[in-house]
Amino acid sequence: MSTNNKKQKRNRLQSVSIPTEIIFHLIIGGFAIACILPFIFVIIISFSSEESIRMIGYSFKPIKWSTDAYKFVFEMGGQLWRSYFNSFFVSVVGTLISITMCVMYAYALFRRDFKYRKFFTFFAFFTMLFGGGLAPTYMVCKQMLSLSDNYAALIVPALVNPFFIIIMRTFLQTSVPEELIEAAAIDGSGEYNTLFKIIIPISKPGIATVSLLTIINYWNDWFLAMLYVREPNLYPLQYLLMKMQNQVDFLIKNSSVIGVEASKLLQDLPSTSLRMSLVVFIVVPIACAYPFFQRYIISGLTIGSVKG
Amino acid sequence: MKKVLATLLTCGLLIGSLAGCGEQASVAPAPETKTEATVTESTEAAPEATSSDRPADHVTLKMYLEGSNVTDDTAVLEKVNEYLDEKLNVTLEPIWGTWGDFDQGAVLSLQGGEDVDIYFTCSWTLNEYNQFARDGYYVRLDDPDNNLIEKYGQDILNLLPEVLIKGSTIEGANGYGIYAVNGYKDIACQNCWDVNVDLLKKYGYTVEDIEKADYFTFGDILAKVKEGEGENFYPLLIEGAVLERMVDNSIIVAGDSGSNNLLSYYINPKKTSDEGAYGNVILNKFATDEFKKFCEKTREYYLAGYIDPDMANPDKANDVRANKQLTGQYLIGTQSYSLGYEIQASTERGFEVAMVPTTPAYVDTTSSQGAMMAISTASKNPDRAMMFLNLLNTDPYLFTLLDFGVEGIHYNLNEIGEVEFTAERDNYMPWTNGLGNVTLLPPQKGQGADFWEGFKAYYGNADEIPILGYTFNPENVENEFAALANVAAEYVLPLCTGAVDPDEKIPEFLAKLEANGMQKVVDEANSQLQSFLASQGK
Repeated sequence: MSTNNKKQKRNRLQSVSIPTEIIFHLIIGGFAIACILPFIFVIIISFSSEESIRMIGYSFKPIKWSTDAYKFVFEMGGQLWRSYFNSFFVSVVGTLISITMCVMYAYALFRRDFKYRKFFTFFAFFTMLFGGGLAPTYMVCKQMLSLSDNYAALIVPALVNPFFIIIMRTFLQTSVPEELIEAAAIDGSGEYNTLFKIIIPISKPGIATVSLLTIINYWNDWFLAMLYVREPNLYPLQYLLMKMQNQVDFLIKNSSVIGVEASKLLQDLPSTSLRMSLVVFIVVPIACAYPFFQRYIISGLTIGSVKG
Repeated sequence: MKKVLATLLTCGLLIGSLAGCGEQASVAPAPETKTEATVTESTEAAPEATSSDRPADHVTLKMYLEGSNVTDDTAVLEKVNEYLDEKLNVTLEPIWGTWGDFDQGAVLSLQGGEDVDIYFTCSWTLNEYNQFARDGYYVRLDDPDNNLIEKYGQDILNLLPEVLIKGSTIEGANGYGIYAVNGYKDIACQNCWDVNVDLLKKYGYTVEDIEKADYFTFGDILAKVKEGEGENFYPLLIEGAVLERMVDNSIIVAGDSGSNNLLSYYINPKKTSDEGAYGNVILNKFATDEFKKFCEKTREYYLAGYIDPDMANPDKANDVRANKQLTGQYLIGTQSYSLGYEIQASTERGFEVAMVPTTPAYVDTTSSQGAMMAISTASKNPDRAMMFLNLLNTDPYLFTLLDFGVEGIHYNLNEIGEVEFTAERDNYMPWTNGLGNVTLLPPQKGQGADFWEGFKAYYGNADEIPILGYTFNPENVENEFAALANVAAEYVLPLCTGAVDPDEKIPEFLAKLEANGMQKVVDEANSQLQSFLASQGK
């Protein structure tokens, strides 16, 4: 009797037939493998010996394994840890400030009684469609705002992201009933109190999602560093890697004009396995951060429409 | 009180400088002797004398450099600025661009009008000399209204070979003139067969046999070595595009680097200062008989197993080539030569390497514009920047200091005056060829005390090609140019390494080029060349 019951329950909950389920599992499993495989490949390359890469290229089965690249990374010392710190610092501080601004902006847009709501929505939205271009942006940041060779240069230009503001506003619209704000007002809650004590606690899933996106943005950013930072002490980790890669690419591309010197210069640059080991160093921390946000993101996906 | 003192001092300096000018003019325009010893001497003897060429106001010059590997420049800059302060009342702030970030950084900095005085520029970085001079980012140095070179740069003109000045004289925003100071580095091109002598001798040949033969008659030697060394040995280790140029004597046309070098000019392989077989015209090189003949031969060698199939794979070619070169798994390779490379290569690879040139050394526009220093039009002190460039390119003390670092810290001199670097050098490695006149440097260990004499003889005497100074300006045909570059990217490497059948692919390639407007580009290039030659009086 009880088994029969269970069976019925299962059938009711999972109305997909077994073959369909198998196919979906295969598709999703395949997709997951496609996502994880490149990273495993990177790890394997980072543990391959240089000769092996030179002889047979990148391979899942290198001729010889080696930990030289990691030894070199650890011996690199100063610059690596410094860059690690910079990446952490920029990601954490940048995300905190950015998310505060994002939530406040989105909250204002969410309130129907805000007079300039339409204007400010358009104001944010407009920058998604049209930008000033690289050179003017560079001039404004560097010369007018003196965002050059300081942490602000790595944080400020990416502080406000209109896309995240719109996500946040939409989240508030779907999950926060306006009656709640009215009720709070009747109970004598001021505007700030309403935002920080009532709205923010109930919109944690939305905030977590946007935070994760922001933190990934900051963590992966090398472009801002390339534009505004010339002081090696301020290099984030991604830029360090990007720089090595760019140097190698550039020298190969121009080897015919630079001539004999190019091959000599190339020899002094970090090897492929070293670059791959740096990739591992970059990916691991951010991959570790993901599970902490995951809980909220899942709940963020499930609430909303269900409540209706 | 302070104000009065300041005014008095300024007046004094002004009078001093005026008097100094008068003195110099009346005595003789003697070239300043610029060694440290004389400077200290003169400051002790007569302080007014130094203040005569030392401008009164202090300025800071920023200089954006390419290819540096510098993590600690404090010791060097301290010395440099002490010296510059004394000489020119200048503080130098170098920006150490690297191979990876210079391109984007320098272009943005130029376009953003940033306060940087001097930029490295050349024919192959993104802040390309010709284009940026045309767009008005660089100061014309021999501007008739304000001839900086005449005023402050005479010493440079005396030191640099004439071909260099000629190569850098171009049509810019401000008329036909010089927009940057050339560095004196390995300014001549010479393509060589890179020969593995040990292996060659093993099969009973000598370097003379290679010298006597050419690409089309290498066959017998290659066959014998291939037979002896086995199936997995590829005697020809080639870089496709370079090989084509070596065999056909076609050269890169300056201004064409973005397009896979579609355009070609044919030089005279015997005497490079004379016109080549086609005269002074630009050709679609893939349509010539030379190219066809070359591709057919290469295909034959490829099918015979003389060429590694990896050479046709752009992702692998560089790594594989570097490795085979180092381990000696080749007989004949292609190499663009720089003086003394066979010695360096022999030591590096551990076997005897010989370089067999296919033409005499020649100077073309690209090689003469290989490394230069331009003064930005955004610079507030172009005069002082020119003075600095003049000093940098003529003063051995300053140049050595800026390039090699401080003696005793970054390097030591051995008994015959060669430089031996210390471990500190790892923290301070600017790119020597990007700094300027490298002949001012002391020789490095192993180069021999008279290295620079030989250098000057080799490069200073290289012939110029008849169209030196000509640069193609693709502005009018930009769309065609981009489309053609894509077509070329698909065909050139496989054809030049023999990986595809030329009988089938060349006609296909040419048809695609034609369909994308190749003729228009060639015509445009030729009309530009004709007006260039006319302006040169040829």
